[in-house]
Amino acid sequence: MIISWNWLKQYVSLDMPVEELTHRLMMAGFNHEGTSEVDGDLAIDLEITSNRPDCLSHLGIAREVGALYGRPVRTPEAKPPEGRTPVQSLVEVRIECPDLCFRYIARVIRGVRIGPSPAWLARRLRTLGLAPINNVVDASNYVLMECGQPLHTFDFAKIRGRSIVVRRPKSGETIEAINHLVYTLQPDMCLICDEERPVAIGGVMGGAETEISESTTDVLVEAAEFAPVSIRTTARALGLHSESSFRFERGVDPEGVDWASRRCCELILELAGGELAAGAVDVGRRPTARSAISLRFAQLPRILGIDVPPEKVREILLALGLRECGSEDGVPSAASGSKRRKSSSASKTAAGDADRIVLTPPSWRRDLEREIDLIEEVARIYGYDKIPEDVSVPMAPSARTKQERVVEKVRYVLAGCGLDEAMTFSVVEPEWSKAFLPWNSSEPLQTQTPLVRGANVLRQSLLPSLLSARRTNESVGNPQIELFEIARVFWPQPEQLPLEEQVLAITSGRSYLELKGILEALLETLKISEPLRAEPANCPQLADSASCRLYLGEQLWGFVGEISSALQQQMDLRHRCTAAEVRLNLLMEAAQLTPQYQPVAQYPAITRDVNLVVDEPVRWADVAATVWQSGGPWLELVQYRQTYRDPQRLGEGKKSLLMTLAFRCPDRTLTSPEADKLRDQIVAACEKQHGAKLRAG
Amino acid sequence: MTLQEFLAELELFASEANRCFQAAGDLTALEAARIEFLGARSGRLKQLQKSLGQLPSVDRPQAGQRFHQVRREVESAFQAAQERLADRQKTVRSAEVFDPTIPGVRPVVGHLHPITQTIDQLKEIMGRLGFSLADGPEVEDEWHNFEALNIPPDHPARDPLDNFYLAAASRLAGGAGPSMLLRSQTSTVQIRVMERQKPPVRIIAVGRVYRPDTPDQTHSPMFHQIEGLLVDRRVTMADLKSVLRMLGMSYFHGEVHIRFRPSFFPFTEPSVEIDMNWQGRWIEMGGAGMVDPNVLRAVGYDPEEVSGFAFGLGIERLCMRQHGIDDIREFYRNDVRFLRQF
Repeated sequence: MIISWNWLKQYVSLDMPVEELTHRLMMAGFNHEGTSEVDGDLAIDLEITSNRPDCLSHLGIAREVGALYGRPVRTPEAKPPEGRTPVQSLVEVRIECPDLCFRYIARVIRGVRIGPSPAWLARRLRTLGLAPINNVVDASNYVLMECGQPLHTFDFAKIRGRSIVVRRPKSGETIEAINHLVYTLQPDMCLICDEERPVAIGGVMGGAETEISESTTDVLVEAAEFAPVSIRTTARALGLHSESSFRFERGVDPEGVDWASRRCCELILELAGGELAAGAVDVGRRPTARSAISLRFAQLPRILGIDVPPEKVREILLALGLRECGSEDGVPSAASGSKRRKSSSASKTAAGDADRIVLTPPSWRRDLEREIDLIEEVARIYGYDKIPEDVSVPMAPSARTKQERVVEKVRYVLAGCGLDEAMTFSVVEPEWSKAFLPWNSSEPLQTQTPLVRGANVLRQSLLPSLLSARRTNESVGNPQIELFEIARVFWPQPEQLPLEEQVLAITSGRSYLELKGILEALLETLKISEPLRAEPANCPQLADSASCRLYLGEQLWGFVGEISSALQQQMDLRHRCTAAEVRLNLLMEAAQLTPQYQPVAQYPAITRDVNLVVDEPVRWADVAATVWQSGGPWLELVQYRQTYRDPQRLGEGKKSLLMTLAFRCPDRTLTSPEADKLRDQIVAACEKQHGAKLRAG
Repeated sequence: MTLQEFLAELELFASEANRCFQAAGDLTALEAARIEFLGARSGRLKQLQKSLGQLPSVDRPQAGQRFHQVRREVESAFQAAQERLADRQKTVRSAEVFDPTIPGVRPVVGHLHPITQTIDQLKEIMGRLGFSLADGPEVEDEWHNFEALNIPPDHPARDPLDNFYLAAASRLAGGAGPSMLLRSQTSTVQIRVMERQKPPVRIIAVGRVYRPDTPDQTHSPMFHQIEGLLVDRRVTMADLKSVLRMLGMSYFHGEVHIRFRPSFFPFTEPSVEIDMNWQGRWIEMGGAGMVDPNVLRAVGYDPEEVSGFAFGLGIERLCMRQHGIDDIREFYRNDVRFLRQF
């Protein structure tokens, strides 16, 4: 809202520097966006929060200045001289949709002379960034900016049937607005019509056919109150936002409608002459009386942490236009149940008890309804700077959750492994959402509006986003791209909010086994004792010969592998890479963040390298399991070394698994023959179970 | 030759041999010295061995012992000299010069996202102030995102254009129930915590929030918030100001003052904007206020019994100011040249 300094001065005396005024206003809740000089005047740009539509006007800001500086506010009387003809004989008004239009006041001025506005008025409008149009239209805009009540002026001669009908549109009805665009109206919009056709989109914009022109002689002045929600949806649906719709959306002062109508007529008579018909056609509901609000003084320190003297409280609230009530009758007390001492003789004022003040808010403050609203008003004007910033707040214990600690460890291990943390959007393009779906094949959730262009699917995997980040890095020529992300994926559940799983995804230039090793290292760091099991990935997005799915115990933990060439092509990647995605939730449960001490062995271990020749289909994990089963209690370590293939030396369809075994006895040093014996025992078991042969050398 | 003379001869031999071996400047000189002292045919050691044989047999054991000792010493001195010269020769031959400034072999260390680092910093500070982390879903129902937060159905904040509602097919209760949406604020977590816990409540919530905004230098449709909530008996705005000041002093490492400017949020009243004065400048930090009585009632608390404060800060804005980042989109582009700066 732009406020003209000269205009504001008309209602309240301003003798302070403008910087001081804007600072005071800022500290009272009106952010100062800037001040610029316009033709000898100052245009002060203030940000008005949505709860204060009453301040979308010069009078509104003048009232705030009056309260802040303790100065009277001069409101014009708005008493236009009336002619003899009763307005009822000229025009009839019907509201057919009282849910959309609460009230409609029409006045008629006949015999105006349309012409340019005088310099003072044109200058005022220009200061606010509005272009002057003609004396009648400018008068209505002036009053809008003066008191915040939008008005509309019609060329009365063009209103057919001499009546105004406020109704919903008929099917397919259109209107050409004063911006000369044609709008098709939708069922729940509020239309201002004459007997035949729409003449304005109520509260949003007037129609072109009935607008004031140079040939206009008779003017109908509309002042109305429309339903805020209806105006908001209409303005949005039509993409048509105006000074009027902005104010009606937030709500106008119901008691200011008639004042604005009179004030506008007064100005038109002054600027364009003519004669005002007597009275007004005033249709619709009348403003209802505001309920009184009781403010208990003790609530001020309870909420604000400071005492405000009762006299000060009263002074502030009265300055803001509230009126003190003589009694509390009919007031629903916010303090029901609290003690009330009836000692009115000791009370400082006649109004109510000494421990409270009961007030009625002014009609323009629809935001004041509750005790807490008054507490805020007192604090705002009294000044938040009076609240201390150094009270002692009681201490309280706080602990980091297991989840936080696990995620932090995971992050640090991954960074330690040379991976950079990425963050990507949770909502992706539909094609991406299908690119990698090993977890869940149910139809993904969608947003009504895309997050960014084309992205409207809640992701069920982080990998596509991460691979896209990889592509971004490839395209700028970054050589090493090692990325991980920890975020949630969204798995739909019938009749409920989606299941939000926290997952970890990695993309790397390393080999499949190196990436798998990082995941194994994570388990080691978190001291997870659940056995890790690998099975073929069976996932079309991963290369068969270099990927697996991982289980922790019986639960699917995740996937790791080289991406398939299909996925590489789909994600438009220049180079093959590896990727992994695992569920972090499983780690939260299984992690042991307080490991228990195990005594360190006193005697040396003795190692044996074993080279077992087996058939190709025999898997390492199965051999290792046999080794553990047959190795006895002293077997301490079974370490995989490598797989060796050589058809000439080993035979077709054979491979050799090289491993290192370590044996240790807790209470003495093992001898070499003992170790050999254990090794032989293991080899025999492997031979029996897997057909393995010990390979010499 | 007497025993005395033999032993003296032996010592002289040892000291001269050692000196010559040490002084040899290259392998040729060393070889010459070796022939002179240790030569198999006519080296001085050979001469001494002959002298040893001519000593009276009674002196021979003592002399022999010393002779072998000296021989070992001199031989190892020769070996040491040989190794020293061989090393030097090797270097000289390939014309290599050792360069101490060659960099070490560096392990690659990854980087945590700057947003994570800012979050960790704030979480740590709030943890010290006694606030524990609470969590809630990113996809919310309208009750937690709006209704319970004193945002009734007609409120403009619920406009479909200002929120990421999920498509109609994914409504709750079989497509007919209330809508779901990506949460527009972390305040939803306040409600979830208060619904399951009696006062006192002293939590922070951190996470992703979503609001339709066309991405530009300062806007992103997804960003992060941190939110603090303290509800108890006798919690006042002075407590709010004091906690925020402690947060500011920990965050900025120094003296900070707090300024409140009146503002408007549906879920707090009074509502304020928080400014922090750091080194003479006022910095906008976020929004705060006293929990609205309607919110307390919505979770079954009695606003006559308890009061509370809440505040919310935008993580991206703090992080950008902290590191001098001028484009919020960098956070989500994930160029490793950006990520590796932090």
